[in-house]
Amino acid sequence: MTTWALIRDTFREAFARKIFWGLFGLSALMILFFLFLLKIDLVEGAMATVSLFGRSTNAPTDVDRLVRGVYGGIAAFLYTWGMFLAVFASAGLIPSVLEPGRIELLLSKPVSRTHILLGRFAGNVLVISSNVAFLVLGVWTILGVKTGIWSPAFLISIATTVFIFAVLLTVVVLIGVLFESAALSTMISVALMIMSPILAQTSTMLRLLSSEWSRQIWRTLYYALPKVYDVGRMTLDAIQSRTFDGYMPIWSSALFGAVVMSAAIAIFAKRDF
Amino acid sequence: MPSDYAIETAALTKVYRSRWKGREIRAVDDISLRVPRGTIFGLLGPNGAGKTTFVKLLLSAVHPTAGSAMIFGRDAREPEARRPIGYLPENHRFPTYFTGAGMLDFYASLSGVESARRKKLIPELLALVGLDQWGGVRLGKYSKGMLQRVGLAQALIHSPNMLILDEPTDGVDPVGRRQIREILTRFEEQGVTIFINSHLLAEVESLCREAAILNKGKVALSGTMRDLTAGKGYRLTAAAPPDNLLEQLRAKASTTAARDGLIDFQFSTRELANEALDLLRSERCEIEALAPTTSTLEEVFVRTVEQ
Repeated sequence: MTTWALIRDTFREAFARKIFWGLFGLSALMILFFLFLLKIDLVEGAMATVSLFGRSTNAPTDVDRLVRGVYGGIAAFLYTWGMFLAVFASAGLIPSVLEPGRIELLLSKPVSRTHILLGRFAGNVLVISSNVAFLVLGVWTILGVKTGIWSPAFLISIATTVFIFAVLLTVVVLIGVLFESAALSTMISVALMIMSPILAQTSTMLRLLSSEWSRQIWRTLYYALPKVYDVGRMTLDAIQSRTFDGYMPIWSSALFGAVVMSAAIAIFAKRDF
Repeated sequence: MPSDYAIETAALTKVYRSRWKGREIRAVDDISLRVPRGTIFGLLGPNGAGKTTFVKLLLSAVHPTAGSAMIFGRDAREPEARRPIGYLPENHRFPTYFTGAGMLDFYASLSGVESARRKKLIPELLALVGLDQWGGVRLGKYSKGMLQRVGLAQALIHSPNMLILDEPTDGVDPVGRRQIREILTRFEEQGVTIFINSHLLAEVESLCREAAILNKGKVALSGTMRDLTAGKGYRLTAAAPPDNLLEQLRAKASTTAARDGLIDFQFSTRELANEALDLLRSERCEIEALAPTTSTLEEVFVRTVEQ
């Protein structure tokens, strides 16, 4: 009951902030785009014409490739801009709970501090999950109906996007608990997103770096920080039915999230309000 | 183990240390205090005396540097120790996206009140605090006094055994204050312990059975309200005595005042009052009244804080 109350409270607050309606609005616009503006006429399983904004092309294209391309594009959009917007929208939800006059009342209830923080975290993840699922399932259904291709691989992008968001949210929570600053939380989370594709060029960089200690620092950063880029790459590979090399980016990012969240819980438990 | 005390602190201390300058502030300094079950207890003190820190220590919003706090015999640091507490903070900031009823529902859920009971209690409590027409309105539209009332309803929603109220009538108009006082008295009659942290001395004096005055983080004075306000003086009122006797009496009295053919003498001790009584009776002067006098809580407070 307590957990559900905390989750519901996060939903209420998220929707009271207009930015969350903005996220849903963007998703809805994208779904409407695929619903009304993209027309695909199929003739006996092969694509005859593709119409966009009313303009048709007769170039014969493999329908399966096109659908997978669209899936990949949406997954990439979700993973970059969607992730940024989600982090930006969520950054204020932790510091707001810690405001004087509000946190004392929460702490006066028979609920542990760990429970409060995890409830808030779970609520935030669920808000973003519902948005991501809304967009992905919406596009998947529309393209499925229009093309007859129901590729479940695209649905993986719900899990991976939410997973990486949850990992980045642990950073938002930690910074929120430490500094109560939404701006700083956003900056650091976005910095991790930006650093990820750079750090992912490990093999190239290890060749270019001249000293062993700099190579060691690069390796440490690569393995320690969340692998936003690598997990995104894995998602695209899965959608395109390509193989990928192991699950290290996933478990190491999960480990990062677990460590950061544990630190946030420990600091929150010791703080005076 | 069940305790006779709602609150029991032993050498409770909170020291804030400045991270950079290494300066120490002893916000709460070695406070040992007992609040019996079922009483209305007032915590008083000037600004910065440590009242709010003391309350936060009871709620475990602040961790003690030393000492302990027990709530109904349970360590205050345990979440379960807070189950019997209803709390109304000073300068509360209820989320404005809530309606009055929504806010009560949320905090009741956190206190473990079942859904069916919440549905029954919320309208009852809104009616109790005079907001029955406002349950569906967002808190952003509430006045300061209305927020205070709905805050009180929030503190009462899970039928607590103890209320901890920080400036409960802050921003409430005189009629509302009176209603709040009546509500609190009613809950006291039901055996609920009420712990009030307030600057309004007259209000504390009229409501509380016991009080403590904090100053510079320490308990400067504590006791029952009767003991705290009982002065050691006596007022003797007599018909105007002859001039020679009047001079003798004036020499013994700390103050004298004349009114309607009577004179009030204020004596600081019972012995002096008895000597004056003997003198007056020896001259066959008429005695109108003799009564022990009390100080107002404000006088006691100022005296204690200035010492």
